[in-house]
Amino acid sequence: MQRIRPVTSNIVEKGMEKLSSVAKAFTPSPIQELSHLARRCNAINLAEGFPDFPAPPHIKNAAVSAINSDFNQYRHVQGICDQLAKLVKEIYSLHVDPLTDIAICCGQTEAFAAAVFAIIDRGDEVVLFDPSFETYEASITIAGGVPVYVALDPPNWTLNEDKFMKSISSRTKAIVLNSPHNPTGKVFSRDELEIIAGACCTRDCLAITDEVYEHIIFDQEKHISLASLPGMQERTIITSSLSKTFSVTGWRVGWAIAPAFIASAIRNIHVKITDSAPAPFQEAALTALTSPSEYFESLRRDYEFKRDYMVKLIAGMGFRIRFKPQGSFFLFAELPENCLLSDVEYVQELIKQAGVVAVPGCGFFHTNLSLEKSSQVGYQKRYIRFAFCKSNATLSAAAQNLGKLLGASGCLMLN
Amino acid sequence: MIRSKCTWTCSQMHSPLRFKYSSTLVSFSNFIPPVVTSRRSTRYPSLMATLSTVSTQQDAASNPIAHPPLQVAKRLEKFKTTIFTQMSMLAIKRGAVNLGQGFPNFDGPEFVKEAAIQAIKDGKNQYARGYGVPEFNSAIACRFKKDTGLDVDPEKEITITSGCTEAIAATMLGLINPGDEVLLFAPFYDSYEATLSMAGAKIKCITLRPPDFAVPIDELKSTITKNTRAILINTPHNPTGKMFTREELNVIASLCIENDVLVFTDEVYDKLAFEMDHISMASLPGMFERTVTMNSLGKTFSLTGWKIGWAIAPPHLTWGVRQAHSFLTFATSTPMQWAAVAALKAPDSYYEELKRDYSAKKAILVEGLNAVGFKVFPSSGTYFVVVDHTPFGLENDIAFCEYLIKEVGVVAIPTSVFCLNPEDGKNLVRFTFCKDEGTLRAAVERMKEKLKRK
Repeated sequence: MQRIRPVTSNIVEKGMEKLSSVAKAFTPSPIQELSHLARRCNAINLAEGFPDFPAPPHIKNAAVSAINSDFNQYRHVQGICDQLAKLVKEIYSLHVDPLTDIAICCGQTEAFAAAVFAIIDRGDEVVLFDPSFETYEASITIAGGVPVYVALDPPNWTLNEDKFMKSISSRTKAIVLNSPHNPTGKVFSRDELEIIAGACCTRDCLAITDEVYEHIIFDQEKHISLASLPGMQERTIITSSLSKTFSVTGWRVGWAIAPAFIASAIRNIHVKITDSAPAPFQEAALTALTSPSEYFESLRRDYEFKRDYMVKLIAGMGFRIRFKPQGSFFLFAELPENCLLSDVEYVQELIKQAGVVAVPGCGFFHTNLSLEKSSQVGYQKRYIRFAFCKSNATLSAAAQNLGKLLGASGCLMLN
Repeated sequence: MIRSKCTWTCSQMHSPLRFKYSSTLVSFSNFIPPVVTSRRSTRYPSLMATLSTVSTQQDAASNPIAHPPLQVAKRLEKFKTTIFTQMSMLAIKRGAVNLGQGFPNFDGPEFVKEAAIQAIKDGKNQYARGYGVPEFNSAIACRFKKDTGLDVDPEKEITITSGCTEAIAATMLGLINPGDEVLLFAPFYDSYEATLSMAGAKIKCITLRPPDFAVPIDELKSTITKNTRAILINTPHNPTGKMFTREELNVIASLCIENDVLVFTDEVYDKLAFEMDHISMASLPGMFERTVTMNSLGKTFSLTGWKIGWAIAPPHLTWGVRQAHSFLTFATSTPMQWAAVAALKAPDSYYEELKRDYSAKKAILVEGLNAVGFKVFPSSGTYFVVVDHTPFGLENDIAFCEYLIKEVGVVAIPTSVFCLNPEDGKNLVRFTFCKDEGTLRAAVERMKEKLKRK
């Protein structure tokens, strides 16, 4: 049976009309596109944020065991909620009810999307910090919300209280906080969290947090969960996942923790979006979440080593690293002072000449900033994000490749 | 205390009957909730109250907080705890035989499970490409060609999602604008209405009625107009087991072409087609370029918890699906995608045996239901059967299901929850036969013993 398919541009144009107006506004992910280029050039991938080393054996075994034990139909594993409640109590002194306050989702991505759909109505404003991970805006926009970006001040990406307070209006419904932060590696300080909490409480806003890097923190930094601040638990939706902590970004098990009536709404929405997170990996999550403290300790240690290595390597290329990452597995480095290339051009050269790929920072910055003029944000094209969630072998291979391009000055020579 | 009056009480969150809240509900300080014990309608069953989770009953008493709670979004009217979860919970509590929720109590084939295990061991545990592992996309293209004769480009025309449920959500959010008119056939799977309301669509509905649930052609012709943006077709159909015939699909197709309407098809039960061949709308002349064909692994391979689904559509429609998918879940479970590659390479004998097994199960159930005294409607596909319960003298489907759990120890699903207008489903309940034979026989025995015609 031959398919009859007149392929005329007319059909495609008419077809494009069929897309929702919001979908039409979206462009393909710049991060994923660069990954495709890197794959084509066989480049060392320091762009996408997933490990190239194996997941911990005890967790993989748990998943294998779950599949063999026939945990393969739709399910909700309450034990995950119980264990999460335990963990947030131990680590963040948060008291949550595992029966009512937790929704298990397909990754933090879905938890965040469901949280947004749970609380955002058309016209609601949502404050986000700039730079920011690209995906938050999409769900906010589709839910009819209006993203309002507040620039963090380079070089240390500090929160400017004045700017922040000015961007909150009577229409502000929620503030999104990603800490530890992608792409800068910043861990918001207690002072900064108090400013945010203060605003939420006095202006009666909700907060949605993305804490996926919560266990990847360095130099004795402490990740403080915003919800643990006074007045915040009743208005905060915490989202996180197994992915980064346990190096299983492909398993899609995440969660939202929120006051019962919001968690219930999130759960109900999640059920209509995907119905359940993958069953065997929910089982494995039980094992993951009961990992001994040594696991989390060695995670930190290993990533701190990688961070130091990466900082040294990139600084050695002439990049300006005025802010060392305090958490996450990203280094957000500023192009060498004398470099005339934009971030995108630099990354393209990096791929072609050094066989190494990273992410141009412009993908994380937004031009529709509240309160900034575009002339003040020239730095938006000056940053590159390097991921160091890679094996030591990968990192030294990258170092080798980059080493070949160093000129007499010791700085990277790119044409 | 304000907060306890303002929280969404269990009854509101769990009722399958739609409460139409005033659209002027803006903040909780203005909200005056219906008192829990008063019934909005005489149909509101005590079942729903007993089914409410322990947790939400505690809501009102917990958390003495000074501020009133902040508003949840208005769209949540459509997002209540599903009937399936409620029924399953009650089934467990009562030790009832569960012929309600549509997942097997037997497991998937070894060769697919082995493939997943191997993928995990081989380290395939990181993010897959957002729209799918290339080998999986190719395997789907291959299978689709075998099933429909259509050639599709795995790179541009296939998107992998977390189950067909997510394919539906991504399609609605990616391709439907607020205010667009979308046509559904009732009874329908509950996520359709919910995700359409998320997209802000205007829902129009045509009800399929017993005994054969045929498409009412005249009603169809007057309902599909130039204003119709899309029509959703689930075939083989949950809950009735109806399969859309070629004639019906042809009529729908010509109306869609004439009025420039998109078609979204949910074909998850396509391999459970017993009485006739399954036909994909996309394979009809002129239809591929306006159709999103959705499917999944779960029903065919008895692995409903793996959440592997997909959407096949021409590039300009796929693009919209992929945009929505990218913020809904970003990527789909990697090891399961690899296992799905192995699954889709299953030989014909796998599918033949699947049909044989399910046919045998269906026979047990249908025979049993007939013997008990239900009016059983013919089901051509899926693993569901709908029956008329009225011979047993209960007021409506929800009352009957409540009675069935409590007095007989068997679970069925009330069909009214699948309808926009609950009246359309009140005489019908749905049984599933995706259970092992022992379970089916046990259910039949209980019903024969305890269910008496009035």
